[in-house]
Amino acid sequence: MDRETRRQLEHYRREEAGPVENAVLDDLFDAEMDRGQFIRRATVVGFSASIIAAALAAAGEAELAFAAPEAAGAGGRLRLGCIPPPAHGLDPHTYADTGSLVTGNIAGEMLLRTTNRLTVIPELAVSWKPNKDASIWTYTLRRSVRFQTGQTMRADDVVTTFKRLVDPNSGSQALSAFKGVLSPAGVRKVDDFTVAFHLDAPNASFPYLTSSTTYQAIILPANYALGTYEKTPQATGAFKLVSYTPGVGATFERYDGWWKGRAPLDGVDLKYFSDDAAVISALLGNQIDLVNEIHFSTGRALFNNKNVKIFSAHGATHRLVPMKTDAPPFNDYRIRQAVALTLDRPAIRKRLFNNLADVGNDSPFAPVFPATVKLPQRHKDIRKAKELMAAAGKAKGFSVQLTTYKAFELPALAQIIQSSVKAIGINMTLRILTSAAYYAGSQLGPPDGWGTTPWLNTPINITDWGGRAVPNVYLTSSLQSKGVWNASHYSNKRFDRLAASFVAAISLKDKRKYAKQIEEVLLHDTPAIYPYFYFQLGGGRKRVRGYQADPQGAVYLSRTSLA
Amino acid sequence: MARFVAKRLALSVVTLFILSVIVFAAAQLLPGNVGRNVLGPFADQASVDLLNHQVGADRPVLVQYTAWIWKFVQGDMGQSLQYRVPVWSLLSDSLVNSLKLAAEAFALVVPLSILGGVAAALRQGRLADRAITITGLSLTAIPEFVSAIFLIVAFGVFVKWLPVNAQWPEGTGILGQMKYLLLPSLALVMVLFGYIARMARAGTIEALSADYTRTAYLKGLGTPTVIRRHVLRNALLPTIAVIATQTGYLIGGLLVIEKLFNYNGIGQRIYIAAQNKDVTMLQSGVLLVGIVYLVATFVADLLYSVLNPRIRFGSTE
Repeated sequence: MDRETRRQLEHYRREEAGPVENAVLDDLFDAEMDRGQFIRRATVVGFSASIIAAALAAAGEAELAFAAPEAAGAGGRLRLGCIPPPAHGLDPHTYADTGSLVTGNIAGEMLLRTTNRLTVIPELAVSWKPNKDASIWTYTLRRSVRFQTGQTMRADDVVTTFKRLVDPNSGSQALSAFKGVLSPAGVRKVDDFTVAFHLDAPNASFPYLTSSTTYQAIILPANYALGTYEKTPQATGAFKLVSYTPGVGATFERYDGWWKGRAPLDGVDLKYFSDDAAVISALLGNQIDLVNEIHFSTGRALFNNKNVKIFSAHGATHRLVPMKTDAPPFNDYRIRQAVALTLDRPAIRKRLFNNLADVGNDSPFAPVFPATVKLPQRHKDIRKAKELMAAAGKAKGFSVQLTTYKAFELPALAQIIQSSVKAIGINMTLRILTSAAYYAGSQLGPPDGWGTTPWLNTPINITDWGGRAVPNVYLTSSLQSKGVWNASHYSNKRFDRLAASFVAAISLKDKRKYAKQIEEVLLHDTPAIYPYFYFQLGGGRKRVRGYQADPQGAVYLSRTSLA
Repeated sequence: MARFVAKRLALSVVTLFILSVIVFAAAQLLPGNVGRNVLGPFADQASVDLLNHQVGADRPVLVQYTAWIWKFVQGDMGQSLQYRVPVWSLLSDSLVNSLKLAAEAFALVVPLSILGGVAAALRQGRLADRAITITGLSLTAIPEFVSAIFLIVAFGVFVKWLPVNAQWPEGTGILGQMKYLLLPSLALVMVLFGYIARMARAGTIEALSADYTRTAYLKGLGTPTVIRRHVLRNALLPTIAVIATQTGYLIGGLLVIEKLFNYNGIGQRIYIAAQNKDVTMLQSGVLLVGIVYLVATFVADLLYSVLNPRIRFGSTE
C-alpha cells in the first residue's frame, strides 16, 4: 500500500467514519471477514469504492476489480415471460407476489440496489451513512434523476414514498420488513436532496431495507395517486410501462430520460403465464426470449437444452417445515429432532433441484449469509431417530397430518417427508390445499394467538419463504415468541434474546457470535426443518446478453440486450 | 312459433336466475377471503379486515347478492376486487377471445365430423366406416391436455410450424390470429370429432333406412339428391343438438386448453377469479358464459324447429 492510500484510509477512520464503519474495518483487519464478506458489509454501511480499495490494500487483499460488462448489442425488443401474473393491481407498496415484483421492477428503481453477491450499490441515492449507533441513516440523493413524468426527483418524493411504505394503514406489504425498524415519523427530509431515517431501534443492516430487497420500495413522485402505476409512466427506471392488461401482459418502452443513459433494448413485451408447461414450451418454441423463473421439478426440458441458457442466483429462498411446539405430537423436541433426522437432504436436493440448492441445517442461516457459522451438518440417521422416538415414549409412532399447498415443488417435498417418516413409525397423511385455502382464515399474531389460518395453525406444514439479504425477518417473525408468522408457536426466551442481539449487532464478529448460538439452539430445539435453500433460476434463449438472475426473483433489464 | 319463442325466452330467464343464485352461493363457499387474497399471506389482519370492509365483503350475503344482481341486470358488472378495474373491461376481451377460439374450432370440427360421420354411414360396416369410427373414438378418449401437449411439442417445439402460445401480439390481422388459434383448435377438434361424427353417423344410418328415403329412391331420385334433400336434413337434427350443447364447453370450459396455450379466454379469467376469490369477476364471468350458452341452445332450438316442423306445430311436445 502506498503512502497516499494509507493517509487516505487513516484520514477516513479519524475524520469521517463512525463506530459502525470502524467496526467493519476492524473486522477486516482482525481477519474476521474475508475479502468478499468485507466488500458486502462495506457496501451496506456506505463505504465509497476508494475507501474499500484502500482498506483491502491495507489488509493485504487484492484490490477491487470491476468486470467488464458483456458487450451489449443495441436495439430490439425482449419478449419476457412471467409466471405467475400479478395477483392484483400494481401500486408498488402493495406488491406481495412474483408477478407484481417482476412487472413493477422493470420500470421502477430504489434508493439502493442489492447485487446477487449481497453487496449494496447506489441507485437513486449516491451515498448513505449511519450515525454512531446505526439508529439514524442519512442518504444523499442523486441530483440527475427525472421521473418519467418529467419531474426531478427530490427528498419530498423519497419521504412520501417511505412514509407510505411504513404506514400501517396504507396496505403496505413492506411492513413486515419495517416493523419495529422504521415508523412514519422517522422518515425526515433534511434538504432537497438529503433524507434521514430515524429508526425505532439501531439496525446495522438498514440499507438493505431501502434497497431492491424491499421490492415494494420503488421511488415515486410525491404527488403519486394510488392506482395509477399501470396507467401513467411515473417511475425512474430505464423502461416506461406503457400498457398493462391484468393477467395477459404489459408493454414497456425505453425511457430516454433515464439518469444512467440509454438502455440497449428498445422495449420489453411482457407476457404472463399461469402454467409451467406453457411457459416452458413458449421458450422452447421461441415465442419468448426469457422467463423470470423456472424450477427443475417442472422445467427439466430446459436443462441441457442447447438453445437455452440457465441463469442462476445463489440466495436464501427456502421452504420451512414448522412443527407446532405447543401441542402433541410435536411438543417434545426429541420428536421434532427425530423427524428432521429421517430426511436425506442431499438426495432431496438432487431430486428436486438437480443440486441447484444448498442443503439446510435447520436454521435460517443460509450459507449465503456472511454471518452464518458452519455447524456440523444434520444427516439422515434413522437409528438415532428411533432412539429419540423411544425416549419420547413414541416408539410405536403416531399419526399426523402434514398440510401444504399446490405450488412449486411443495407437494413433492411433502411426499418425500411422508415416505421418510414412515421409517420411524409415523403415519403421515397429506393435505394439499390451494394457495387461497392455505392462507385463508385469520392470522391475528401475538398476543392474540395466531388466528385460524392453516399455515400458522397446523401440526406440521410446508410454507415457501422468499429470499432476504439478511436473516433478520426469518428470526424475528417466524421464530421469536411474539413473531407474527411463528407457525411453530416456538417460545424460547434465550432464543428471543439472541435473535434481538443478532439484529442489533454491528460488527460481523458479534453477529457471528450470536449466529452460532442461535444455530445451536435451533438444532437442539428443532422448531422447524429447513431442508434446503434453493437457487433462483431463470431461463433464456442464447441470444439474451447481459442478464443476471436475481436472488429474489426480480428481472432487471437495463443492461440486457439481444444478440 | 311466437308462442314457442316466448316460452323458450321465459325459461331462459328462469334458468339464468337459478344460475345466478347457484354461482353466488358457490362463490361464498370458496375458501379464503378477498382481503387476504389481495393483500397476501403476510399482510396484517387489520389491513385485511379493512379491505374486506371497503369492498363490501363483510356485508350480509343476501345484501351482497341483491346488490350484485341488481347492478348486473342494469349492465353494470362492478369492479374486479382483485385488479380494481371494471369487470367488463377484462371479461369483454376474454369473452371475445373465447368466441374466436370457439368459432375456429367449430369451423374446423363441424364440417369435418359431419363429413366423417356421413361418409362412415354411407360405407357402414366397411373399412372406411371402421377407420373413421375407431379414429374418432380414440381421439375422444385422449384427454385434451395430452393431445394439446402432443400438438405443442410436435408442431410448436420440434418443427416450429405453428406458435405454441395462442395469444397473438397486438396488431395481428385476422389471418394471423387464425394461425395462432390453429393448435388449440386442433386440440379441440381431436376431442370433439369422434363425438359429433358418431352422432352424424347414427342419424344418417337411421335416415337411410327410413321409409321416406326408400320412397325418394322409388320416385327415381339419384343418390346425391336423396342424401342432400332427404337424408341429411333428418340425419343432422340430433347432431345440431349435440353441437349446441358443446357451446358452453367451448366458451367457458376450456381452462386446460387456455392454460396450456396461454390464451386469455374467459375460462382462465373465471378460474383465476375463483382462485383469488374475486367474486364480482367470478359471478359475472359464470353468468356471462351461462347467457352465451343459453343463447346458443336457443338458436339451436330455433334451427331445430325450422328443420323439424313437428316441434313448431306441436309446441314443445
